Amino acid sequence: MTPTRIAIAAALASALTLPAVAQAQAQAQAQGRMPVEKCFGVSKAGQNDCQTDTSSCAGTSKKDNQPDAWIAVPKGTCQKIVGGVVKG
Amino acid sequence: MTLALREWQAAFVADLAGGGGEARLAIHRHHIQRSLAKALAMTFPTVHALVGADFFRQIAGIFVTRELPTQPVLAEYGAQFADFLAAEEAMHGLPYLADVARLDWALNVAFYSPRPSAADLTGLSPEVLLSKVLTLAPGAELIRSRYPLDRIWTASQPGAAEGEVDLAKGPTCLLVLPAGFVRLDEGEAAFVASIAEGHTLEAAAVAGFTAESNFGLAGCFGRLLGCEAFAALQQ
Repeated sequence: MTPTRIAIAAALASALTLPAVAQAQAQAQAQGRMPVEKCFGVSKAGQNDCQTDTSSCAGTSKKDNQPDAWIAVPKGTCQKIVGGVVKG
Repeated sequence: MTLALREWQAAFVADLAGGGGEARLAIHRHHIQRSLAKALAMTFPTVHALVGADFFRQIAGIFVTRELPTQPVLAEYGAQFADFLAAEEAMHGLPYLADVARLDWALNVAFYSPRPSAADLTGLSPEVLLSKVLTLAPGAELIRSRYPLDRIWTASQPGAAEGEVDLAKGPTCLLVLPAGFVRLDEGEAAFVASIAEGHTLEAAAVAGFTAESNFGLAGCFGRLLGCEAFAALQQ
């Protein structure tokens, strides 16, 4: 059953007077807060260094351009997710 | 051989269109692919962790060929990535991946949203509160998933504890805010959704109790205020 207007008003008002500790706890419960300023753009993600971790310059571009050739299978924390089927 | 600029540009366009000089053009193509894939990996860290670097590079490479950036801010690249994964996911047996991408994207959007001061409701009378219409913080988003999205996210963080996540432990509703995301139960989700639709706090509270009879209104509202879920009030 839905509470009365008065009960709703009282509940809302009581939330305004939560002590600072409770508010800090609420913040601490939030996950995924980015700890530092993420700063990337052309200078970082797009470093014009040509060399990459697997090859130089155009080394793998042919491979990368074959959308249908799936050579890699998922190999990450998805192994921990039960019920998700990883096709090898 | 020295080419005039006009001739050089014409040759470059011809190359881009698939003419000669493939090897040299491939350098640029490769560079674009790798740079954008790296940007995607930073915007979608949880997806990256779930599938691993090799697989991510592959799916990112395909995405890049379909959706090039439309503006210069790389952090704003990838809006369609979750939909892309939703269309691709079936064949890889990771049905939750698209929802994880939505969470990554929402965290990214919330993080880069403007941060006006949070709503200050101090001193408002209970009667005024009932008829108050609040606005969610810029970038806030409610994400519903049939999977235990918060647990999947936690299990994919660097240094996460060992242990498995049971996909059957869904569904979940997460509220993504600049301060991070919080998991909401059914009543809380209905309360927030109603506020997002522009209803008064009283109407939102009723929606919360309708969705879940033992909805904890005071605790939920306090938690949302603590997380700065609401933008400053407009006069």
